[in-house]
Amino acid sequence: MANQSIYQRELENLEQSKQFLQRNEYSKIELQLEFKKIVENYEELIDQVKIITKISDRLQNKLNKTNEALESSNIKLADLNHQLNQTIDQLTEAKIGRKAGTIILIFAIALFIISEAFIEPIIERTFSNNFWIGLGLKLGVAILIKPGEDFVNKYMLRQARKKQLAEARERLAD
Amino acid sequence: MDNFKIEGTKQTPKIAFSASTGILEISGRSIPENTFEFFNPVLLWLDSYSAVAPQKIVAKISLEYFNTSSSKYILEVLKRLKGMLNDGKEVLVEWYYEEDDEEMMETGEDYQDVSGLPFNIVAKED
Repeated sequence: MANQSIYQRELENLEQSKQFLQRNEYSKIELQLEFKKIVENYEELIDQVKIITKISDRLQNKLNKTNEALESSNIKLADLNHQLNQTIDQLTEAKIGRKAGTIILIFAIALFIISEAFIEPIIERTFSNNFWIGLGLKLGVAILIKPGEDFVNKYMLRQARKKQLAEARERLAD
Repeated sequence: MDNFKIEGTKQTPKIAFSASTGILEISGRSIPENTFEFFNPVLLWLDSYSAVAPQKIVAKISLEYFNTSSSKYILEVLKRLKGMLNDGKEVLVEWYYEEDDEEMMETGEDYQDVSGLPFNIVAKED
C-alpha cells in the first residue's frame, strides 16, 4: 500500500491514459495531445528512475563503507578485549601467587613450630635423640613447601575464575 | 499559515518549515517504515504554501542517510520548490553534508542537476 502510494501521481496518469484508450472514437488532435502527455510522463519517469537509481546505488555504497568500518572496529575491539583479558588474568595470577606464597609461608612456620615444640621431643624420647630422623622430618616439610604452594595457587585460581564467570553471567543477565 | 514541524527520530528526519520566514529545514536520517505516511503531509503543506510563500525561500537540507523511497520524496519536495521558482519566487537550496561524506555531496550535485534549482552545496565542519 505504502509503495503504491509513493507512485500516486504516476498511477493516476496511467489510469487517465487507460480511460482514454477505452473511448470508441478519437480525433487526430486528441490523439496527438494524449500521445504528447504520455511521452512527457514517460520522460519524467525515466529521469526519476535514473536519478533515484544513481542516488540509491551511491548511498548503498556509503552503507557498505560504514559496515566495513564497523567490522574493522569490531575486530580491533575484540583484539583489545583479548589483550585486556590476558592482562587481567596475569594480574589475577600474580595477586593469587603472592597470596598463596604468604599462606604457605605461614603454614611452614606453623609446621616448624609444631615440629620443634611437639614432634621433636617425641622423636628425642622415642628414638633416643636420633639426629637423622629429626633432620629428615624437617627436610620432608621443606620439600613439601613448593608442591603445596602450587596446589594452593591452582585452587585459588580456580576459585577466582569461578567468581569471574559468575560475575560475567550476572552482568549478562542484567 | 501555520508552521510545519516534525521532531526527528532515529528513523525519520526533523522537518521545520517556517511559513513567515520562508526557511524550510530537513535534517537527520530518513528511513521511515512508511515513507508515504511521513512525507505526504510535508508535500500537502508545501502545496498550500506555494500560494502564500514570501518572496525569498531557503530550503536547508542536511541529511546523513536516506532510503530509496525517501530519495523520491526529496525529489518531489524539490519539484514543488521548482514550481515556486517558476512562479517568480527567489528559491535557494542549501545542501549540507559532513566534510568527509563524499556520497552525500555528490547526491546534492545530482539533485541540483535534475531539479534545475539554484543550489549551495556546503561542507559542515566537525
